Amino acid sequence: MISESESAYLPQPAELVEVIDETPTIKTLVIAPQESLAFKAGQFVQLTLPGLGEAPFTPSSSPLNPERIAMTILRTGAVTDRFHDCKPGQTLGLRGPFGKGYPIDELKGKEVLVVGGGVGLAPLRALILALLADLDPVKRLSIKYGSRCMEELLYRREHQTWSQQNKVDLACTIDHPQRGWSGKTGVVTTLLKGLDIDRGNSYVFVCGPGVMLKFATFTLIDEGFRPDQIYLSMNRRMSCGMGLCGRCNIGPYYLCKDGPDINYALIQDYPDVF
Amino acid sequence: MATYYVDDAGIEKLLRGQRGKSTFAPVKTARLAWVDPVNGETDLADLGEPRSAQSPKGLFLPAAESVGRYGRSTAAATAARADTAVVLGIRACGLRALKYLDQVMLAGDFQDAEYRARREGMLLISCDCVDCTDSCFCTLVGGRPYATDGYEVNLTPLEHGCVAEAATERGQEFLETAGIQRTPAGKDQLAERDRIRAEMTDRLKRQNERFAFVSDDQTQPGLPNEGDAAWQEFAADCVECGACTNICPTCHCFYLYDQILGAEAFERVRTWDSCLLSTYHRMAGGANLKLSARPRLYSRLANRVLHKFTYSPQQYGLLGCVGCGRCVDACLGAIDIREVVGKLQRSSQTTPAGGREASA
Repeated sequence: MISESESAYLPQPAELVEVIDETPTIKTLVIAPQESLAFKAGQFVQLTLPGLGEAPFTPSSSPLNPERIAMTILRTGAVTDRFHDCKPGQTLGLRGPFGKGYPIDELKGKEVLVVGGGVGLAPLRALILALLADLDPVKRLSIKYGSRCMEELLYRREHQTWSQQNKVDLACTIDHPQRGWSGKTGVVTTLLKGLDIDRGNSYVFVCGPGVMLKFATFTLIDEGFRPDQIYLSMNRRMSCGMGLCGRCNIGPYYLCKDGPDINYALIQDYPDVF
Repeated sequence: MATYYVDDAGIEKLLRGQRGKSTFAPVKTARLAWVDPVNGETDLADLGEPRSAQSPKGLFLPAAESVGRYGRSTAAATAARADTAVVLGIRACGLRALKYLDQVMLAGDFQDAEYRARREGMLLISCDCVDCTDSCFCTLVGGRPYATDGYEVNLTPLEHGCVAEAATERGQEFLETAGIQRTPAGKDQLAERDRIRAEMTDRLKRQNERFAFVSDDQTQPGLPNEGDAAWQEFAADCVECGACTNICPTCHCFYLYDQILGAEAFERVRTWDSCLLSTYHRMAGGANLKLSARPRLYSRLANRVLHKFTYSPQQYGLLGCVGCGRCVDACLGAIDIREVVGKLQRSSQTTPAGGREASA
């Protein structure tokens, strides 16, 4: 939380300590904030490039380590280009955390299905790491992940560690067949059909591009999940982070304050959700 | 607290004579401003004129302001300033707008320090409306042309002089130190106040009879959702200028941007923004991502109206429209929000109790 004497709109200095090349288009920036910034998995922060402005990212690192916070960023436009050009040692700014975070307390005794598309696996990694730290409360953790191609599969070096855990299974797919790939092909929704997951005792967490969120949601509904079992990572252009500046609303909900991962039952009746 | 009668000379002194104390009061309607008459302003509006053309919002949330500096030479983070000033002539709709902004800026988990400092620093002297514009419609949204709370002192202009009611210690002190003649308000003066209030309320109800809707903080007109093509009829006249949101006393959406002051020294600035503009909803992203959350103009227009009449009651337990009618006057496309709501309403609905809780 930001100290009261300072404006809630100002970032605290944070040193960029490491830049990890994840895929040809994705890098992870590891940041050490001056004051440790405690966050819950799924909460987001505003990352400032001094003088240029800020952009919202949900940390991809474990909330158990608030001293070093990782942001996994896809190069997709003017702002993310700048973040990709950052070098270790540089001072960035950090503000937050904002939002509700994943409802981890509600996952006791549940089967947890995590569905990621592309760089959408980033915020879900914080959830996965939080759950892996203590798997006792959950019944099972099932991860379904889709990417455009083999080279773009995110955190590939960690997949084996995750899936070796008791109670955890992981399945990946890439959009099109590729030389050297013997796994599944097709978009991630293909992994969601005929799941052996207890429909009455599970939660699903989905993050990915808009079109993926849309079709993953529709597939899950077709597969018998209820809207209130589905949490979607609805990242619009959050700015203030506190429900004041107005730009991230879906109906009466501000995604910065009531999300960014929001229960689909709350927003399903509003147009332009996807 | 006490209720007084103050004569015309006393009112004149209240408006212009507060030496050493900033006093913001509306000027003649042709000019869109609230000014400090201590600086020799001569064009002040008479208190008997309708509500000011410009809303008082800017006194509490300036169109642009620094929210602080960061980087190297920032030892002195800009502390929120708490200048004391008097806002004289704010109307019931203006006070209601402040009550709404208080909910938005101060009642949540985070508080806006700049807004709080201004809000606490300003002494509010409200004034009943004894005249209205054609676009005024407070009575359609559960309001009245006179205030019942939220002020330090309230004035009711009578045919001669006015009734001044101090509602707080601070208001009482203001009247006592203003150097004006005052006597306890008499029965006749209070009766005249009641008569004027009743007449103005009737007049407003009559002039808005043709708009077939009634709403208040608890009951809202049922409007189609923002994807409904019914909004298109009105969006056809919208030129996306943002005048309605700028002039609205409750529209509070803003944009944050950073600027470079010098080597390693930066400043963050907040400016008003408008949800009618396509850039407001712009999102990051490339392939597979849409670039705007609301690419259609009619959805943006609908989102603004729905925020006032549907979402705000759910978020804050308050209607987001106070019926000042300034957006009706300001709209380049002559869109009248009364017509929009009146035509599109399908039923009325009651807000579930709980306000903010609804989004928890």
